[in-house]
Amino acid sequence: MKRNLRFYFALMFARGTALVLKLIGRKGTSMPGSWAIILCPDFIGRMPKPEKIIGITGTNGKTTVANMIEDVLEDNGIDFICNRSGTNVHTGIASTLIANSHFFGKPKHKLAVFEMDERSAPNFFPYMQPDILLCTNIFRDSYKRNAHAEFILDILNREIPKGTKLVLNADDPLCSSIGPENDRVYYGIDHLDTDKAVCDNIVNDVPVCPKCFGPLVRDVVRYHHIGRVHCENCGYHSPTPDYRATQVDVEHMQMTVEKDGAAHIYPLANANNINIYNSLAAVAMLSEFGLTPEQIQKSFKKMGISETRYSETVANGRKIILHLAKGQNPIACSRAFENIRNAPGKKSVIMFLDDYFDARHTVENTAWFYDTDFEFLNDESIVQIVIAGARHHDTYVRTLLAGVPAERIVHMRNEDDAPAAVTPEADTIFILYDVYTIRLANAIRQKLLEGGKEAAK
Amino acid sequence: MKIEILFPEFCNLFGDTYNMIYLEKTLPDAEFIRTPIGGTVRFTEEKIDLVYMGPMTERMQERVIEKLRPLKEKIAAEIERGTAFLFTGNALEVFGDYIEKEDGSRIECLGLYRLFAKRNMMHRHNSDFEGTFEGQTIMGFKTQFTMAYTPDESLGLFKKVKGIGLNPKAAYEGIRLRNFFGTYLVGPILVVNPPFTKYLLKLIGAGDVPLAFEKENMEAYVQRKKDFAEKVHG
Repeated sequence: MKRNLRFYFALMFARGTALVLKLIGRKGTSMPGSWAIILCPDFIGRMPKPEKIIGITGTNGKTTVANMIEDVLEDNGIDFICNRSGTNVHTGIASTLIANSHFFGKPKHKLAVFEMDERSAPNFFPYMQPDILLCTNIFRDSYKRNAHAEFILDILNREIPKGTKLVLNADDPLCSSIGPENDRVYYGIDHLDTDKAVCDNIVNDVPVCPKCFGPLVRDVVRYHHIGRVHCENCGYHSPTPDYRATQVDVEHMQMTVEKDGAAHIYPLANANNINIYNSLAAVAMLSEFGLTPEQIQKSFKKMGISETRYSETVANGRKIILHLAKGQNPIACSRAFENIRNAPGKKSVIMFLDDYFDARHTVENTAWFYDTDFEFLNDESIVQIVIAGARHHDTYVRTLLAGVPAERIVHMRNEDDAPAAVTPEADTIFILYDVYTIRLANAIRQKLLEGGKEAAK
Repeated sequence: MKIEILFPEFCNLFGDTYNMIYLEKTLPDAEFIRTPIGGTVRFTEEKIDLVYMGPMTERMQERVIEKLRPLKEKIAAEIERGTAFLFTGNALEVFGDYIEKEDGSRIECLGLYRLFAKRNMMHRHNSDFEGTFEGQTIMGFKTQFTMAYTPDESLGLFKKVKGIGLNPKAAYEGIRLRNFFGTYLVGPILVVNPPFTKYLLKLIGAGDVPLAFEKENMEAYVQRKKDFAEKVHG
């Protein structure tokens, strides 16, 4: 698209906004991009872009995978721009492009890595074509925004440019069906020790063959609709992965990935299923970008999961684990609950799952609790559940309906009261928090640490 | 007591599966029949005390309409006979007249009551709803792509107090035709509204049975009422 007067006016106004924000000490805002798009709706299309664009999208895991990819690129001395400190919608992408351009918009760097919100695809894909786009998975997410998986799948199928090469999860029948005309590679995992015989999740968005509606044979059941399937009616089957994790060795925290007959071993930063998929997705994407296995391996060895997603502290013999459980996202919370159940030790779980913004000025739609597998919390190793927040009564009822005995649950309105309620019986305390409540989670952890010190005295 | 759940493998969005799980926990001796989309619908063949269908995707909605269309006369007879139905989310559109898409094209539905829905896939409606039913407060949440219109407001199910009814101008939310109850409210409605659940259970002949975790659920209901009073406007 040609650059016109309107574009240049929008660019200059956005630059001015960015300057003002810098002067008042605000970082990571998408405001310059918002103004640019308000003043010039096709701003992203007119803005000059780096020579190569990598995109990361999907319902869950895109932030973690984008961060991993960026860390590896940085570790290998590759120069790039990314929207890590901003937002993953069109305004964040526009802000990143503006911040990393010369005065009249010429990009300062040759490579861009963008985390791309799948729901916002109509706002950027008409204006930019990623060279490679990774999709981690497609699941139910916020009902308010994302409605249901079919809605998101339709958006991606409609919007993803035909010339973009796709890197897709072969073990997700929804994700692997995206962009049938696009060039693609798949990644998948042969076997995990946690594989199941039957799906034990409430939500399974691929209940029958996606092609013929016939019965689906589940060859591998992992979580929700993730696994490997085939249909005896029409011959549909999960695609064969190009990047195959043939062996996942949790004990030694590594996985073997085969590509074109050659096997390479990659370290794992975290051994839960989601993060094994995230690591494999990053390997596939970085390989498609052109990095060698050795370059990826070297960087993976230095890597951890972002502390905004997961962190562990040990104090006075007790482990305190902060675990993101994205609010209004039933799949993300179900994964968190299953991780807790599978973790060793006697566990206490502090939950404040309420939507931070909804709780302030309205009554949150709590229907998503009932797509979330609270049932995983009904396990003898989870000795206590502490529920706090505006919707604590609703969360309590949901937890009871999941079969958790009432004597193992305490609930309260005020989140600050949660640390004092934690039982000494627990040797591991999980703090589950939403994206917007990381500060609160840290404050609760601090109280637990201070409480531990007091007890030690 | 027999309760049939229509096409639960697909009609299960927005947590509404738990409407029936809640009844299962409340009525441990009842028989729950889960009829898959490829299976034979039972309520037109034998006595069923309650027929439930939950929200579904738009493509599935068209499939469900075609699945039930051949049974239209039998379904009309069951409604006339007083069989109880609970349809939640966009399931209530299936028995209406038609769904109008953005391009003006129509999906013809079963036409068992005068209601049509206008679909707008780029504008999702989300809101809190408070209304009344038989003197009791009803609360729920709306998350949908359609607005529904009926020329006959006497079919209205819940009288609106706050929020949006079938459409922004409607005084009622949902549809009631004899013992057919259709509502866009998710929540799930039977968990979120214990008084309505007790009403429905009496209607289908279960009597005044205690609900699963009734005391705790009533406490949640009372707290929610307070929160709606403070935080939900309009």
